[in-house]
Amino acid sequence: MTGTQRRVAITGIGLVTPLGNDVAATWHALLAGKSGVAPITHFDASGFPVRIAAEVKELDPRHAIDDRKLLMLATRSHVLGLAAAEEALRDAGIRPEASDATRWACVVGSGKTGLGIGELGEVHRQCAPDGHFRPDRLLTNGFAMDPLAFYRSQTCAGLSLLLHRFKIRGYATSVHTACASGSQAVGMGMKLIRRGTADYVLAGGFDSMIDPIGLASFCLLGALSTDNETPQRASRPFDATRNGFVLGEGAGLLVLEAWDAARRRGARIYAELAGDGNSLSSYRITDSHPSGDGPIQAMRQALAAAGVLPEEVDYLNAHGTSTVMNDRSECAAVRAVFGTHAPQIGVSSTKSLMGHLIAGAGAVEAAICALAIHRGVLPVNANLAEPDPECDLDFVRGQPRVRRIRVALSNSFGFGGSNSCLALRNPDEVGA
Amino acid sequence: MSVRVVVSGDGAICAAGKSPAEIWDAVWTGRPAIRPIQQWDASGWPTSLAGEIAGSDPRALVEDRKLHKLLQRSDLLGLYVAGRALDDSGFVAYREALDPPAAAAVNDRTGVYVGMGGGGYQNEYEFFPLLTAANGDLRTFGRELTATVHPMWLLRSMPNNVLCHIGIRHGLKGPNVCVTNHSASGSTALTEAAAALRAGEADRALAVGHDAPIEPQMVLYYHQLGLLGADGLWPFDARRSGSLLGEGAAALVLETDSAAADRHVRVLGEFLGSGCTTEAEGLLAIRADGDGLAGAIESALDDAEMRPADIGMIVAHGSGTRLSDASEALAIRRVFGASAPPVTAFKWAFGHPLAASGILDSVLALIALRHGVVPGVATLRELDPDFGSLPISAQPQAPRSDVALVLNRGFGGSNTALVLRAAASEAA
Repeated sequence: MTGTQRRVAITGIGLVTPLGNDVAATWHALLAGKSGVAPITHFDASGFPVRIAAEVKELDPRHAIDDRKLLMLATRSHVLGLAAAEEALRDAGIRPEASDATRWACVVGSGKTGLGIGELGEVHRQCAPDGHFRPDRLLTNGFAMDPLAFYRSQTCAGLSLLLHRFKIRGYATSVHTACASGSQAVGMGMKLIRRGTADYVLAGGFDSMIDPIGLASFCLLGALSTDNETPQRASRPFDATRNGFVLGEGAGLLVLEAWDAARRRGARIYAELAGDGNSLSSYRITDSHPSGDGPIQAMRQALAAAGVLPEEVDYLNAHGTSTVMNDRSECAAVRAVFGTHAPQIGVSSTKSLMGHLIAGAGAVEAAICALAIHRGVLPVNANLAEPDPECDLDFVRGQPRVRRIRVALSNSFGFGGSNSCLALRNPDEVGA
Repeated sequence: MSVRVVVSGDGAICAAGKSPAEIWDAVWTGRPAIRPIQQWDASGWPTSLAGEIAGSDPRALVEDRKLHKLLQRSDLLGLYVAGRALDDSGFVAYREALDPPAAAAVNDRTGVYVGMGGGGYQNEYEFFPLLTAANGDLRTFGRELTATVHPMWLLRSMPNNVLCHIGIRHGLKGPNVCVTNHSASGSTALTEAAAALRAGEADRALAVGHDAPIEPQMVLYYHQLGLLGADGLWPFDARRSGSLLGEGAAALVLETDSAAADRHVRVLGEFLGSGCTTEAEGLLAIRADGDGLAGAIESALDDAEMRPADIGMIVAHGSGTRLSDASEALAIRRVFGASAPPVTAFKWAFGHPLAASGILDSVLALIALRHGVVPGVATLRELDPDFGSLPISAQPQAPRSDVALVLNRGFGGSNTALVLRAAASEAA
């Protein structure tokens, strides 16, 4: 262990989101304030209490990934991750080579895995037609369980596909802390470079729960907006009339690199990934503490780890799920951390346009922060007509805001109480 | 080296026992706990053996009955060992003696790192009555949903449940990760916990690995893929034919040396370093030459600032499959040449508890070295002649030093190596 801390540069970004199937399309729709929420098309959701979601549209897996064998092993979530990773590496202009493959790491937040409805339906037909499971029927002649279903259901399946495709041979893991997964993965990636475990990290998250089981699981909890008639307005974080989040799907992958090496090779650096804060609320499974306890520690740690003062923060990409409790708790936390500086920070939840990408959310939103810094534009918090009086921050409303960003923060808070905050710094601020 | 990371408490449960001492006793006295599966009638199954926790209702392990509906079997095991390890470390008593602001500060500086395995197919079977009612019609599925399935179904399914409930139950609020990386999950969780302490993000951390893969669909998948042994799990044996699933959980409490000194804690051992690599050739592929594992060992030795000669004992992954054991033997030979320290492995005693392996093996490695012994692989009849020089035995051996190297391998070509030092010996 050395005493000097290595800086980490973000040099590549790949996005597949409900707003577009790459970075350019996503960013364009984000600035245009174009919503990605619409009636569900992946399956017949007409009987469900919620019939809208933010789907990734018209993604052709074979166009994105020219490897049929690999695609056979992939779920939709994995395809999104593979496509975003492909773009991130292309964007960074480097790839793992045989000579440095063990210096490449991969950390991904991958969604909850399990059987898809088709595979579950097979087991049901064979073993439980009356609803009651009889294990011996799995042995019945002629009933072969699909080994591909086993592959796809492994928690590390998506990670394994990324490693295989890109020949990454260093430290690799997948993590899952629900909606904080993607953000935690990016934070872990940063730490791997800082502690010298890796020189390059492919880090991010991917998820797709817009299937009958995934949608059902959130409908059961009553967590989703039921504004089926006005899908584009359904996700409205911090609005007084919000009534739940909108389920989305997508992937965000970043290429992280040791700063000095990135500079030496003349890489385009979007931002410095400067700090990570990570706390556990230890309060309730799905509720946030009204005081902001938990997120407060995460934000303070991120600032401390980045070595920046609260006054240097110009943009916050809020977790902002569009649920009353979550939004209020986050605002309380921001006020507690930033005090009199809080009103100076431009705040937006991009979930207002792309819904909640669950395990992918934090990584996509970290990428949006990097793009916001790079382009000097703050994307909007759409659908904020009537702000909740308890959410009195400076939200970016109506039009994107042109502003030079010194430091941006990205918040992600998961079911189960994991809170993650990432701090990104403008590369021009580095070494100043 | 700046911060030293010490181990101050342990907890474990598996087929061989419900505490580290019980499990150690079974390993030391050579009593394998591989038995016919009890959770369902598997008597006619192609594989009917596993390392199942006897008595079989793990709900008894977690007193809070409200949680029983919210947790799966594996989660209950994880939550149980977490509580045992925190008790064992004296952490709970230490915190109780502090005034509230000091206790709150301790909670904020105590991390939780969990490695979990996956599976949980049976949890999805709760949709079966709904699928029957829907009879193939998704509209009916959607309409009948809320009347048929438990509203908290998603919460029971969350991979990060143990992390969440350790937090709520024990008030820990520091940095945290839930690793979902098959059999490398536990060792990776331990690695990240130690890294957080070294980096000054926390003063203490609880690392937990848990898994409960013994369920019908999982056993059958493993069988179909040729991963399971016919009649037993015999690591490094000429007659080995595969692994057997086990279930269990294990936990270690880590502290920085200064946090441990502050509360005059009894130290069980020290975390010295770790390494992690992948082979990147697919989910089930294993390189025959052991290259990935050798790389993990080399990187762990680097991290620990040690040479191969410093290692006193190797706890091999020893899953009992033909290819994994063979490539593991090659990896050990590549790093240690002809002078490897005594090698042992524990899975013959309680099956392969997947995500729980790394921490469970670490708990046992520290006990073994505190006793100054390397337990034998009790099932070993005839060492595979291909592994000629591997110093592995059915009988106990003498460790070369108080440092253990613990190896773990998982799907996706993951290899991890941990270097741990045991505290001064307990008994002769």
